[in-house]
Amino acid sequence: MDFLIDSFMSAILLAFSLDRELISIVAVSLKVSSSSTLIASLTGIPIGFLIASESFRGKQMLITCLNTLLALPTVVIGLFVYALISRRGIFGPFDLLYTQKAIIIGQALLIIPVVTTFTIAAISRIDNRYRQTAMTLGANRIQTAFVIIREARFGIVAAVIAAFGRVIAEVGISMMLGGNAKGFTRTMTTAMALEYDKGEFTLAIALGIVLLSLSFGINLLFHFFQGRTGD
Amino acid sequence: MLYKLADITKKYENKTVLNINSLDIEKGRIYGLLGPNGAGKTTLLKILGFLEKPESGDIFYNSALVSLSEAFLQPLRKSVVMVNQRPILFTTTVYKNLEFGLKIRKIPKQKRKNIIEEALEVVGMTHLSQAKAHKLSGGETQRVALARAIALSPEVILCDEPTSSIDLENQTIIINLLKQINENRGISIIFTTHDKLQAASLAHNTLFLDQGRLSSDSYENLFSGNITKEAGGLSVCTIQNSVQIKTGTDKSGTVRLLIDPEKIYLAGVEDKKNNGESIITGKIVHITAENGKIRIIIRSGINIAILMPEAYYKSRRPMIGEDVSIIIPPESIRIL
Repeated sequence: MDFLIDSFMSAILLAFSLDRELISIVAVSLKVSSSSTLIASLTGIPIGFLIASESFRGKQMLITCLNTLLALPTVVIGLFVYALISRRGIFGPFDLLYTQKAIIIGQALLIIPVVTTFTIAAISRIDNRYRQTAMTLGANRIQTAFVIIREARFGIVAAVIAAFGRVIAEVGISMMLGGNAKGFTRTMTTAMALEYDKGEFTLAIALGIVLLSLSFGINLLFHFFQGRTGD
Repeated sequence: MLYKLADITKKYENKTVLNINSLDIEKGRIYGLLGPNGAGKTTLLKILGFLEKPESGDIFYNSALVSLSEAFLQPLRKSVVMVNQRPILFTTTVYKNLEFGLKIRKIPKQKRKNIIEEALEVVGMTHLSQAKAHKLSGGETQRVALARAIALSPEVILCDEPTSSIDLENQTIIINLLKQINENRGISIIFTTHDKLQAASLAHNTLFLDQGRLSSDSYENLFSGNITKEAGGLSVCTIQNSVQIKTGTDKSGTVRLLIDPEKIYLAGVEDKKNNGESIITGKIVHITAENGKIRIIIRSGINIAILMPEAYYKSRRPMIGEDVSIIIPPESIRIL
């Protein structure tokens, strides 16, 4: 028990000492997670908007499939992307394996269904009169779409925050596709796994504190936006 | 001619909700579109606002045939604005709500400001310019929605039940506003209502819609009832389990019944009871003047309207609150 308390105290000191290694790991994590969230948002929000606002055959089935993808294990995506970008894969010549780009691709694939399904839910909740009002005021299709997305903004921001929360805490993709290279592809979660293997708990716990603080902040933001309807 | 509709039909889930053979709407006038719930009034309004496409038929707008492709309809919408029964304002300020349509029309910023201020002044909402639009009351929302339409200087404003969801004070304000917009700006106004009195007080022309079709009937005194045969072969229609009217028809069962308000008259002491006529007693609750005629509403379990010549009214002088008997002759009744 003492060793845990000692590790914890050392970790707090480390977390607040602005240790270079710790900052580098946090920076890599934030960079890859922000990039993957951005890509997933640029893809998932328009897809979610289209699915929510158009009527087509198989719509419900598609939503069910997207909901299923929410539970996709990170290691499955890791394996899938690995097969594509490894030397023998079709994207092998691009030399993506064990790079930050590889992690970003994997993480984006993980959270596109998250952003899409949350966007579908947010858009579906929007009163159809917004669409009709925008149209009667002279808006074209794109301007009308922006009105609807604007009205659903709190739900969509909540989708993006939830997606970021998912990738910042994942370990499978970062480990399998990033390779945990120090100063390059070492993220908070992969670093923690490594430190655990080494029996060095101070850095692991310090990273855990940073990760938990980030998650707490993200969740606060998530609930703030999810609870808002424009008040 | 502002609009000319020919053989327009509209279906929802294989059910025909609108079937209009011919309809002409003139420029610069106020049209009241009257009819019971589900008559197709809102659907017609959406078609006139180019927000819905009919299944068949032709629409002429300003004498030009309207193509039903989106590329053609979207520019047309810039000259026709529809205000919903329960208008929705964007979740931003009142000012930005009015600015939306102007920005789309690429009006310069300073000009936008002037137009918005003027439109808000017309509806008496200048003081709420920076207020959050979704926090306004029903009446205020309706007025801002109207200002948002006025700001765009459209050729036509379509109002769906403009006063149905607001208080009496705001109802009067809205009705006066619509008159003012029409008179001062020459904007044509088409509004739906199921209130005959409102239509009569506001509209230059009244159109009657029932089950998706235009009708020459006024659809005042339209009731659902059940016809049964009484002793002596008389057929009697019971309306809302309270009022019984002799119909002189062979039909029986559940029917829709229309009583011509111009053929009902007040019973006098000299009137002899005719066996085929119905005499109903009730209280006068409303008297209004309308194009040289007087409309009296009598409450007798149901509200029955009578339309009488002014001279007859002056000779009888019925008063609000007075208990009267009315005579409904069988020839005033039509079974639909």
